[in-house]
Amino acid sequence: MKSSASVSITRRLVVTVLILELLSAAALITAITVHEWSVQLEIFDTSLVATAESLMGAVQDTEDEGDNVMLDMRGVRLAKDAVFRVEDEGGKVLGSAGEPPHLEATASGAPLFRNIRVSGRDYRFIVLNGTRIVDPGKANGGVRHSIAIIYGTPLRHVWHEVREAVRFFAIATAFLLGLTAALMAWLVRKGLSPVHELAYEAERIGPGDWQFHAPESAKKTSELRPLAAALEAALARLQRSFEQQKRFTSDAAHELKTDVAIVKSSLQLLSMRKRTLDEYGQGLALSLEDITRLESTVEKMLTLARLEQPAENYNSSATSQTCSLACSLRDVIADAVHQSKPFAQLKSIEVAVEINPNTDVRLPIDSRDALLLCSNILLNALQHSPDGATVRMAVTVDDDTARLTVRDQGEGISDEDRDHVFEPFYRGDPSRSRKSGGTGLGLSICKAICERAGGSIEIANDALGGAVVTVALPVKVVASSALSASLKAE
Amino acid sequence: MRVLLVEDEQRLAENIVAALRETGLAVDHAADGEAGSLLAEQGVYDAIVLDLMLPGKSGQRVLQDLRRRKLHTPVLILTAQESKESIVNLLNAGADDYLSKPFDLGELLARIKALIRRAKGVSTPVLAVSDLELNTVQQTVRRRGQVLDLSPTEYRILEYLIHRPRAVVSQQELLEHLYDFDWEHHSNVIEAHISNLRRKLNVAGTEPLIETLRHRGYRLREEAGSQ
Repeated sequence: MKSSASVSITRRLVVTVLILELLSAAALITAITVHEWSVQLEIFDTSLVATAESLMGAVQDTEDEGDNVMLDMRGVRLAKDAVFRVEDEGGKVLGSAGEPPHLEATASGAPLFRNIRVSGRDYRFIVLNGTRIVDPGKANGGVRHSIAIIYGTPLRHVWHEVREAVRFFAIATAFLLGLTAALMAWLVRKGLSPVHELAYEAERIGPGDWQFHAPESAKKTSELRPLAAALEAALARLQRSFEQQKRFTSDAAHELKTDVAIVKSSLQLLSMRKRTLDEYGQGLALSLEDITRLESTVEKMLTLARLEQPAENYNSSATSQTCSLACSLRDVIADAVHQSKPFAQLKSIEVAVEINPNTDVRLPIDSRDALLLCSNILLNALQHSPDGATVRMAVTVDDDTARLTVRDQGEGISDEDRDHVFEPFYRGDPSRSRKSGGTGLGLSICKAICERAGGSIEIANDALGGAVVTVALPVKVVASSALSASLKAE
Repeated sequence: MRVLLVEDEQRLAENIVAALRETGLAVDHAADGEAGSLLAEQGVYDAIVLDLMLPGKSGQRVLQDLRRRKLHTPVLILTAQESKESIVNLLNAGADDYLSKPFDLGELLARIKALIRRAKGVSTPVLAVSDLELNTVQQTVRRRGQVLDLSPTEYRILEYLIHRPRAVVSQQELLEHLYDFDWEHHSNVIEAHISNLRRKLNVAGTEPLIETLRHRGYRLREEAGSQ
């Protein structure tokens, strides 16, 4: 299950925290070591001073004439392995133990501390100078003896103390680290449980069931809320798109089946019994009409499918032949008006085109698509116009956008229809059946053409009544008066 | 027999109507759900062919309303949707049969006839009353083995009567079930056809089969010749 490259947030968090803990523990131990060392050293020095002082105190009068001094070691307690030497001013050693080095006292007479290695061991020495006066009650003020004391004990003890302290802290830290690691692993895992719940919920999504509700725990987690919301939104979008796709397929199937049913029934009716030549002729003509309708449905579906192909293919083929693709909007409108003339005449509808004759715009669309776009919108307007009405087409250009508006004087569009009218196979008025409404693909094709060209199409109600379809397309403006399209349409 | 077709697709409806008429059925056509519902609820039809996707009122609702009014006319559904669910729903809502588009016209006709037959309590296409035999598939009539040459209207009258043996069938009922709105019809047309039919049925040595009950209508006697 787990690939070698997988990354565990739990592990990462725990390791990170542990490393941080370890670093701070190391810093703490260093600080403790330094602190402990200085504290222990101070204690050590104090005891050195005390012992040196007591050695000083042990320098006694020898009670002989020479007013000499001697060292009385009774009552002096030395530390283990201590070395010392007590000398008088004449260099006479009053007493010693071990082999302390020769050290000069400081001039000020303050005690001097030195770390020196003696016979392979670290010692700390104190050099203490004092004065002993023999017979101070005498008239000459007694005999002054300058006593120099060198006393040292091994530092081992300090080391030992520091080591002990560090060891204690190290063990305590290690224990605490272990404890926190375990605790954290548990807590992090528990804290991440909304992620697991979210994953579990997301896992249930399948092609059959797009319902996704993020678990409450995930919604309550501030870090997960954006993810849960994004998931929900994305899935809702997907579901909508799938449903649209499904609806399209089912509608397309319905449409095709109906058309095929017509063709089939026409032919079967014809072959039910022997008929006269005239009847066969009529039947075949009708069947041909039915097949033409089936063909047009299929053609429209294929057009829509082609338009909904990923745009990059289109663009790559478009850039290679940009010149031929960019077509004049004015010519296209003229063609569309010309094409729909029979239908317009049938309903005695006037098609009025308002376009500035001095500017022409080049649409970034294949001329076939542009014509399809214009004639579909025009046909739609004609279909929704009452007999004898006027359909107005107008083009306005600002900066880099051309707007084509087509106004009819029909019944307008309801809010509900407006939301769906560009969906494939949507037929606004349910009482209008296929015979008047076409296949319901016309406006979908328009929308696909517009979106492919980076434009938009929308439908609204005109203030004066009727519906107005507005197409906005990015264009190149060509100032030209040479174009010879005369756009008078009846 | 009179059939109602509720179908919004003009060309399909034209074809079905033509085919049904060619097999000797009277057909009325409604192009939307509302009109279909209105016609269906008159109760004069022997079968209803109902498209599902109808403007105005869905086929499903037309069917439900019909059944709610306690009308038991057999209903055949035409549908382009093929989901099992919708078919189950339809059958549960009181549909008797269904065909999915694109269908076979011959199959549609056969199913409609079977529905009519079964609704009238007959399960085979050949009906017999005493020595009279009527084949609804070939649309032939024999009496004592002898083939009778009947006009289409005469055949339809006899077919209707033979589906309702012993019952008194009024002229009005015959008119309702044999003619659709497209036909010119008067009650004396029925009288003329009946008298022709009676003459043609009268094979030598047999009793008249069709009785006339004054002011009430006609009856096909089952025990002809046994008096």
